[in-house]
Amino acid sequence: MEPDDENDLGTGDKPTGRSPQANWGVAFDLGIRLGISVILGLGAGLLLDSWLHTRPIFTLIGMVLGIAAAMYTIWDAAHDAMRK
Amino acid sequence: MIHVEIAAETLFTIGGFEVTNSMVGAVLASLLLLAGAWYINRRSALVPHRLQSLLELPVEWVAGIVEGSSSRWRGYVALVIGLFLMILVANWLSLVPGVGVVGVEETVEGHEVLVPFVRPAAADLNFTLGLALITFVVFVWWGVRLHGPVGYLKELVGEPRYMAPLMFPIHLISELSRLVSLSMRLFGNVFAGEVLIATMLALTTAAIFVLPLAFFVPAIFLGLELLFGAVQALVFALLTMTYITMAIAEGQGDHADEHEASDDHDAQPSTTTASSPA
Repeated sequence: MEPDDENDLGTGDKPTGRSPQANWGVAFDLGIRLGISVILGLGAGLLLDSWLHTRPIFTLIGMVLGIAAAMYTIWDAAHDAMRK
Repeated sequence: MIHVEIAAETLFTIGGFEVTNSMVGAVLASLLLLAGAWYINRRSALVPHRLQSLLELPVEWVAGIVEGSSSRWRGYVALVIGLFLMILVANWLSLVPGVGVVGVEETVEGHEVLVPFVRPAAADLNFTLGLALITFVVFVWWGVRLHGPVGYLKELVGEPRYMAPLMFPIHLISELSRLVSLSMRLFGNVFAGEVLIATMLALTTAAIFVLPLAFFVPAIFLGLELLFGAVQALVFALLTMTYITMAIAEGQGDHADEHEASDDHDAQPSTTTASSPA
């Protein structure tokens, strides 16, 4: 902590590195987010299908998007880790 | 009989507003934190005494972790510390004797059940969802603030633009999964802890010959709850920090990668060549 930047919110945009504790947090988060992504996609698909009476089109699309979002979550976490 | 209600029970109503036992837990945790803040504010010394050191310890520890996350850490360190302390105190409040076991008897579906006066705040999904919503709004706000509304939307749409119909819902689900995972994890862990302790107490007091176990078996799980309460508070706070850091870094990352790669290539061409598989 620099004494001359007491009221400075900082100007740089790059992370300065993540502590090991924060990495544990990401690890804790990743597993649960994979499942939740699929559930969210599936839930949204089921809602759309019950609203538009188009079952099972949006359920299938939602499930595929949920699985894709889960894969993207892994890729995003890996990309973020490699950027450090 | 084991009875742990998944929804918080209403204690009384004020003009149609239902006051639940988890709200009482949240208010008690807030009052404890306010008392601590008042004490630090009034009685702090340059050379800290024992109690001041104890109160400052978690603040300095979390601040030390947040400090290394981003150069803009001063903008969100107060939120991260506030979330950590609030969840920590709310979780540890459940271990105070009387919390969750002192209440009024009510008849539900023909069974006498105990409605406790105080319930751990994080054992109510409304509380954890509220905290997760604060986190969600803050990290979206950081993204919009630094990259502009158009820049933030571009991040959601992704590159190349013709993939937008596919990438936008994927990004949206991924963003929303953060909100749900933050709230569900904390609620699930704290609620499961409550059920576990209630089950252990019920099992060890079920018969006279297992009664001696009631003196130390629940104590083991209470000790574990002490650890889990701190871990969950830390996980929530650190994920808040990570999400904000990622919102700050997004959009800058790819360009930063290019610059870094270019710098590495200029500075150490031999190392790059040596490490190349070719």
